[in-house]
Amino acid sequence: MSTTFAIPTLETDRLILRAHCEDDIATEKDFFASDASKFVGGPLPPHRAWRSIAMVIGHWALRGFGFWALEEKATGTYMGRVGLWFPDGWFEREIGWTLMPHATGKGYATEAGFAARAHAYETLGWDTAVSQIDPMNDASKAVARRLGAIFEQHFEDPEYGTIEIWRHPGPDARNSSTGKGV
Amino acid sequence: MTLASVISTQRLTLRRPDPSDLPVLTAFYMGPRSEFVGGPYTENQCFEKLAVLLGHWLIRGFGRYVIQLGDKPIGHVGPLCIDATKAPELTWTLWDGTQEGNGYATEAALAMRDHLLKDQNWPLLEILVQPANFASVRVAEKLGAALTEKPAPDWYSGCLTYDLTTACFAGASA
Repeated sequence: MSTTFAIPTLETDRLILRAHCEDDIATEKDFFASDASKFVGGPLPPHRAWRSIAMVIGHWALRGFGFWALEEKATGTYMGRVGLWFPDGWFEREIGWTLMPHATGKGYATEAGFAARAHAYETLGWDTAVSQIDPMNDASKAVARRLGAIFEQHFEDPEYGTIEIWRHPGPDARNSSTGKGV
Repeated sequence: MTLASVISTQRLTLRRPDPSDLPVLTAFYMGPRSEFVGGPYTENQCFEKLAVLLGHWLIRGFGRYVIQLGDKPIGHVGPLCIDATKAPELTWTLWDGTQEGNGYATEAALAMRDHLLKDQNWPLLEILVQPANFASVRVAEKLGAALTEKPAPDWYSGCLTYDLTTACFAGASA
């Protein structure tokens, strides 16, 4: 096996989904230092935030898929990450999203979520996908709903405690990969 | 200049880590030998450890190598740089206690030292060691590293910090 692999670049109307770079990590460190990261394992000190992002990137090498950095086309600004996630011990293969505080309220998680899900179904051949959401994270549940996912069950994660499993429409569901006409 | 993808020493080969290292890395991080590096860890955390190892290479273009004895991976060695404003740390770990006492960690760390400071002209490496980790303290001394008074970072409290530059060993090498 080899660590040689390519992180594909995807594009939506307003976003570029690409590999992370060092500048993105600086933004992530600020995010992890703040209470805004409470639903994704934070707050974390800078050295642990860096490791957290290094892990996000290394996941690509281990699984062949992972989280993309979201770059706003209009400004080039780092907005957060959306992607496909399945580390050892995870409930099931997941579509995940985490926006930086300056990026919320614009529909970016939903827009990138559709692109990530289309990649999972059309390129990787996944037959289903879930999203794991903290029961208190209403903003994230709203994204899941907009993506057409529905609440399925609770799951006791050894690290994160009780989380909600939201099930996405499958690859054959009408328009599940485009979001158009839903 | 990019780092060598493979470094050969008299008895060892240093190579970039890859996904196939997960089982042996997991055995180490779940075992008692990981106590000096924050362990033992859960199996799921071991996956994360390898992902961090791989991710570091992808972000920085350098990282820690796997030490290979014949076809057996026995540890890792190399530069770690979490905070780009600070000097990279030179790290080494033998995963399996039965490999201790043969000078493998020293041999691997010497090769890394020479590649980074001589071939690549890096100005400074730091070495962080817990004082109770006698084996690693000895390796630091064999590298010629100079003990400093630098305070331990928050994330590794109680550790000793050594500086390693070419000045530390220029007189001793051929």
